[in-house]
Amino acid sequence: MHYSPVITNADIAAKDENLHLFQYVEDSKQCEIDTFVSRGGYKAWKKVLEGISREDLINTVKASGLRGRGGAGFPTGLKWSFVPKDSPKARYMVCNADESEPGTCKDRVLMERDPHAIIEGMAIGAYAIGCHLMFIYIRGEFDHCIDKMEAAMEEAYAKGHLGKNVYGSGYDLDMIVHTGGGAYICGEETALLNSIEGERGQSRMRPPFPAIEGLYASPTIVNNVESLAAVPHIINRGAEWYASIGTEKSKGSKLFSLSGHVNRPGNFEVPLGFNLKDMIYNPDYGGGMLGDVPLKGVIPGGASTPFLLPDMIDVALDYESLQEKDSMLGSGAIIVFNENTCIVWILKKLIHFFRHESCGKCTPCREGTAWLEQMINRIEAGQGEAGDLEKMEEVCGNILGRTICPLGDAAVMPIQSALRLYRDEWQYHIDHKKCMVKSNFEFK
Amino acid sequence: MSEAVKKDQPKVSVPTVTFSLDGQSVTVPKGTTVLQAAKDVGIHIPTFCWHPQLKSVGACRMCYVEVEKMPKLMVSCMLDAMDGMVVQTDSDQVRQGRKAVLEFILLNHPLDCPTCDKGGECDLQNLTFKHGVDDNRFDFKKARFKEESMTTTFDDKKIGPEIVLNRNRCILCYKCVRANKEAFGEYDLGAFERGNITQIDAVPGGEVCNPFSGNLVEICPVGALTNSDWRYKIRVWLTKTTPSLCNFNSSGSNIDFYKEDHQNKIFRVTSRTNDSIDDGWISDITRYGYQVINSADRLQKPLIKKDGKQVEVSWDEAINFIAKKYNDIKESVGRVCIGGLISPSLDNRSLYSFSKMIRTVCKSNNIDFRGDYRMLPNNPDSPFGVLRSQPFSIAEIDDSDVIVSFGSDLIHEHPNEYLRIRKAFNYTQPKIYSMMPYSVKSADVANIEYVYTPGTDETAINAICLAGIEENVVDASMATEYIKHVVPSTLKDASALCGLDEAELKILARSIAEGKKITFLVGEIVTRSKARDIITAALLNMNKLFGLSSKGQISILARYANSKGAEKLGILPDPIAPIKEALKNDFEEYPESEPRNTDGMMAHIRKEEIKGLFIVGSNPMMLYPDKEFIKESLDKLDFLVVCDLFETETTEAADVVLPLAGWAEYDGDYVNLEGVCQSAKQAVKPAGESKAAYEIVRLIAEKLEHKTFDVESIDKGVEACLAIDTTIKLPNEFLDIKAESEDVTGEFSHPIFIIDDAHHCGHLTEKAPSLNNFTAEAYLMMSEELAAKNNMQENDPVRVESEVSKLILPVKISESLDSDVLLIPRNFQSSPVTSLCMRKRRIDRVKISKVDE
Amino acid sequence: MILTEDSIAKIKAKAVRYPRKKSAILPAWTVAYRQIGHVDEAIYKEISKVIGVPMVEIAEAATFYTMFPKKPRGKYLLQVCNNISCALRGSDSMITHLENKLDIKLGETTDDNQFSLIAVECLGACATAPMVQVNMEYHENLDATKLDKLIDDLKAKKD
Ligand SMILES: Cc1cc2nc3c(=O)[nH]c(=O)nc-3n(C[C@H](O)[C@H](O)[C@H](O)COP(=O)(O)O)c2cc1C
Ligand code: SF4
Ligand code: FES
Repeated sequence: MHYSPVITNADIAAKDENLHLFQYVEDSKQCEIDTFVSRGGYKAWKKVLEGISREDLINTVKASGLRGRGGAGFPTGLKWSFVPKDSPKARYMVCNADESEPGTCKDRVLMERDPHAIIEGMAIGAYAIGCHLMFIYIRGEFDHCIDKMEAAMEEAYAKGHLGKNVYGSGYDLDMIVHTGGGAYICGEETALLNSIEGERGQSRMRPPFPAIEGLYASPTIVNNVESLAAVPHIINRGAEWYASIGTEKSKGSKLFSLSGHVNRPGNFEVPLGFNLKDMIYNPDYGGGMLGDVPLKGVIPGGASTPFLLPDMIDVALDYESLQEKDSMLGSGAIIVFNENTCIVWILKKLIHFFRHESCGKCTPCREGTAWLEQMINRIEAGQGEAGDLEKMEEVCGNILGRTICPLGDAAVMPIQSALRLYRDEWQYHIDHKKCMVKSNFEFK
Repeated sequence: MSEAVKKDQPKVSVPTVTFSLDGQSVTVPKGTTVLQAAKDVGIHIPTFCWHPQLKSVGACRMCYVEVEKMPKLMVSCMLDAMDGMVVQTDSDQVRQGRKAVLEFILLNHPLDCPTCDKGGECDLQNLTFKHGVDDNRFDFKKARFKEESMTTTFDDKKIGPEIVLNRNRCILCYKCVRANKEAFGEYDLGAFERGNITQIDAVPGGEVCNPFSGNLVEICPVGALTNSDWRYKIRVWLTKTTPSLCNFNSSGSNIDFYKEDHQNKIFRVTSRTNDSIDDGWISDITRYGYQVINSADRLQKPLIKKDGKQVEVSWDEAINFIAKKYNDIKESVGRVCIGGLISPSLDNRSLYSFSKMIRTVCKSNNIDFRGDYRMLPNNPDSPFGVLRSQPFSIAEIDDSDVIVSFGSDLIHEHPNEYLRIRKAFNYTQPKIYSMMPYSVKSADVANIEYVYTPGTDETAINAICLAGIEENVVDASMATEYIKHVVPSTLKDASALCGLDEAELKILARSIAEGKKITFLVGEIVTRSKARDIITAALLNMNKLFGLSSKGQISILARYANSKGAEKLGILPDPIAPIKEALKNDFEEYPESEPRNTDGMMAHIRKEEIKGLFIVGSNPMMLYPDKEFIKESLDKLDFLVVCDLFETETTEAADVVLPLAGWAEYDGDYVNLEGVCQSAKQAVKPAGESKAAYEIVRLIAEKLEHKTFDVESIDKGVEACLAIDTTIKLPNEFLDIKAESEDVTGEFSHPIFIIDDAHHCGHLTEKAPSLNNFTAEAYLMMSEELAAKNNMQENDPVRVESEVSKLILPVKISESLDSDVLLIPRNFQSSPVTSLCMRKRRIDRVKISKVDE
Repeated sequence: MILTEDSIAKIKAKAVRYPRKKSAILPAWTVAYRQIGHVDEAIYKEISKVIGVPMVEIAEAATFYTMFPKKPRGKYLLQVCNNISCALRGSDSMITHLENKLDIKLGETTDDNQFSLIAVECLGACATAPMVQVNMEYHENLDATKLDKLIDDLKAKKD
């Protein structure tokens, strides 16, 4: 079975008792349930079923300060507490393993190498909201992850961690591995729910929020893989321990996917607040710029987050610090590019993606992304005209905050930021009908 | 819940919210959207994707409003009004937002308004005009579907018999797809691909041909969906509308006729939304049925049979001839001995005049309006008559918590009521059950569909009662009493006989017992059955056992545009006492003669005791389920007068044929199945020399020296009758019911049911070309399994034989059927399926064989 | 039937686990795709029968998702990620490399029906870029030598 050749910092994580997600990811035996259990796996799940009340559980997760790792950073415990306590409807826990935000490749590592940790986290989350059927939504292209998760699920059923009357507690819990079909939008939680329901993966208006009316119109919680994988550790080691990691407002550790022009692209677990510059240049992490070509910019949180200029990268990787730089932590996908990169070319790639992935439901996103793509392509092709940049800014303004789901915002935020931070280069493109830099990266 | 549902149900004390709307303080029930609240106080917020009868999706983003303390513009169609909210519907920011949306929509729009049939009634055109997107900042080539097309703008794709799609004009409001699935439960249209190449289209390999498809065109806010029958004919602003009613269903869908001053023809029909009746949806029959009126085949002049041939004559000659014949019969026999049969689709005036003529001029009680039902009961308070007279309200469906339809192929018989039930299914989610001798598409909304053995209708109903008794959900002493009256009297025996599952029956019984508000509607399977009295007796027992009508409604639904009116006006051989009283008051003399219904008249014609017959708008030769019987009878007549819009098999047999005006050609009132009297106005002049039935009756009566047939006198009579409550009291006692059984002879084993096609009703609709574009000929519908068993494929010609006749029909395979039942539509003159039937049969049975064998 | 009995059994086994039958649409394609390599009208029809969901719903959802080819393609579907992280690592020129090597353009299939070449959006292999997914399998951290070997191996593979 395929095993991603990606670099991780498992060696560091193994030694650092605060790091917990990547501790065992370089050990291929960690997938097997016996190994997992021998290392304390499913202990938290058992502990929960043996007598932690829902309220206590939710309060613990709230106290830990865990925030969603899927992009929005919403406090996980708080989200769980929104599920109505007295609803007669079924409730659903859905683990979001769609991992489609360009630059992000972290959840995949957990699925490939520590699948039971995810199942355990999902189970605890399910219990917290009173769910008896939980889903993991894996993007369809991740064939190997799907197989891994299904195998792990079978093992978990076989060993009594899932199924009827788990551990004799009287609690029933079933699980379905649901697979996508190639649509970034299905990572957005309401589109994801439509996709599970067999609908077209278009997003839904909120309210009603999924916690009130989600999957099959029942209360539903959607959590990212990484968020859920952290939960068992919080139960085992306590909210205080977890809250002691990271910064004052951004607690715990986080996985970062580092890609682009660095010497050591990879996935790294670090406490929140870790320095971005360190991430890029430290030999244990990024190991510096590829071929020592100087840095031109960084996208810190996945394709939909605003850019950072080289003089902005001495920044802590946490929710607040990046916000101060007008950017976002997002999904923790750090994309680094060097001086040989044309900014218009980057945006061309990005807007192509967002146009391609727009679900087509609401007007501004559907029409606006297509218009922007045409404008950017034209500028890139050296046919831009005076006034194009201003027009693009206006169009961006007519999309931002005007769409059903945040995909519209995601599409325009990098454009707005690039227009602001790299204005000269855009202008050069229009004035000189050509590129300032040569950016077709050779494949050798 | 949609606004539509709420609007229809004035709730006693709903919590309200008060908020500020453009500076005005507005109080609305909690859960009302800002959009709806604005509509209610007359503030217009533009929309594309919103529809009052559909769940909002917030897709088009046109309905923006600005709300204090909310940083973004909000879409009002999905924003519930909340206490203290301060909303602006026309601020600068709102106007900017709407303008931006219009700009986005127009980017790739062809702007081909001059050639677009939506021009003049296009939301996009109107809103663009209003919100002034004046310059075009989009300097790219417009995206086009169908690159190979000759011009850049035309992408005309026929996606159904009557619908043309232009994807370039489509603004992706998704209303069509949503309505099709949500409101109609149909799956022949979809949205495909995604993002900016999303497109609406028919299901791959199929076409949009569901019975409600015309509505999709009507709700399309732009010219993306257009009707074949309206395209390129006329601009909408050159037309005028006339309010009218559908003449093909019994709820009386409200419609508008479109006509133009200089041409005496109707151009199209659209819904004239009346939420209490049709929610603004009309069936395709309602929409395209007007073409019957325009038809070139319409009879133009009176005809008289001379030397075996019908020749055109003047009205004078025809009326004189009728008068002469009348007197001849009177003289030769010594009394009048003439009967009358009239269609229940005619207006009150016509029905009443006709009855007055038969009773006062012909001095007989030989009168009926039910020319297509066999073996009808004669006495008005037969069980059938009693249940039929019970009141029914469409709007009550909305808040029923249990809905049962018994013996009704709802979509075909009562399309409006089906959509109403669907709405409940979507919003209030009542328990819905369907009981039929074969499975039907309309059961798609049912929690459980009960398919019982054909011919065991009364046992199926008894089985519900017996299930209720076993479940202990009915009064014990009533149960003891009930058991004494029925055979079989155990649930086990009854369910075995009718082929239903005991456990499922118990669920139904429990729902009926526990329901707070029940709608139980009974359809044509019962009305058409020879055993209708036994079946209704079983229903009356059930009603009593469960106390059903004390907490809801149970009724046998009227089927035709004015069936209810015909009943109320006493167009029956023996009207109920209060109606008879009113007639006696109005008529100079009420006849003493024996009352005779359709069957009775035919029998007496055969015995030569009735010599003459007036038929108005009816076509018993085609529609009565025993063609031979009718034919033989009519052949015996001395004198037959038939009034119709067209030549039919019945007019062929006539001595005098009179051209009848259609419902769009004169003012008329009709009583719908709820007993509500509605008016249809004259839209066009009568075709040729045709006349309204009441006019014809007046001419004849006056010729025979009867004076009080003028409109005023007739209307007075009508009014008096309509004022009478015709509900008949339900029986106090349980009725005896012994299940009838019929022998199934070996050879003819497949039960057939005569149905209406989804796009045809009665004998007239064959004259509407658009409806023929959906179905133009009869077929033999069967299940997949039966087809496979007989090695038959779609469209294979099959010989259908009964003991009396045979027909050759193409096979149509149905996905919903799953038993050996065969269905044949009765609407096509070229395949008179009624010839297969026998008058005295409860269930008609046939054998089938492939033609090439 | 195009779907094998085994596939139908798999689809049905998945379908029964869901609270609503429509949910089985995506799992059903996954099974069909693994068996056939693409999904089209004929398959929609079969799936519609197997899971009891109207054909139009299957087709609407199918055309929404881009992962399943909608018509037959070569034996090996080469899907090159051409999104930002891979592009920074040379995926544009990797596509050119493949076009030259296979003598086809992006979107085309080789005459012997062995290879189809398409560009796709981010496949979640950003830190191991550039990459290509061959049918369901990921090949990451590619350079020219590795890619050539991969193609040559596939060409040599007989089955
Ligand atoms: C366009 C779009 C794509 C998204 N893709 C993903 C994704 O691939 N994985 C993910 O976990 N969250 C994704 N999200 C975020 C989810 O909507 C949701 O917020 C998240 O799964 C919640 O989990 P968390 O609270 O644990 O972060 C996406 C959001 C948007 C708007
Ligand atoms: S065809 Fe008309 S109704 Fe349907 S989505 Fe397009 S614009 Fe809306
Ligand atoms: S009408 Fe509100 S978004 Fe379309």
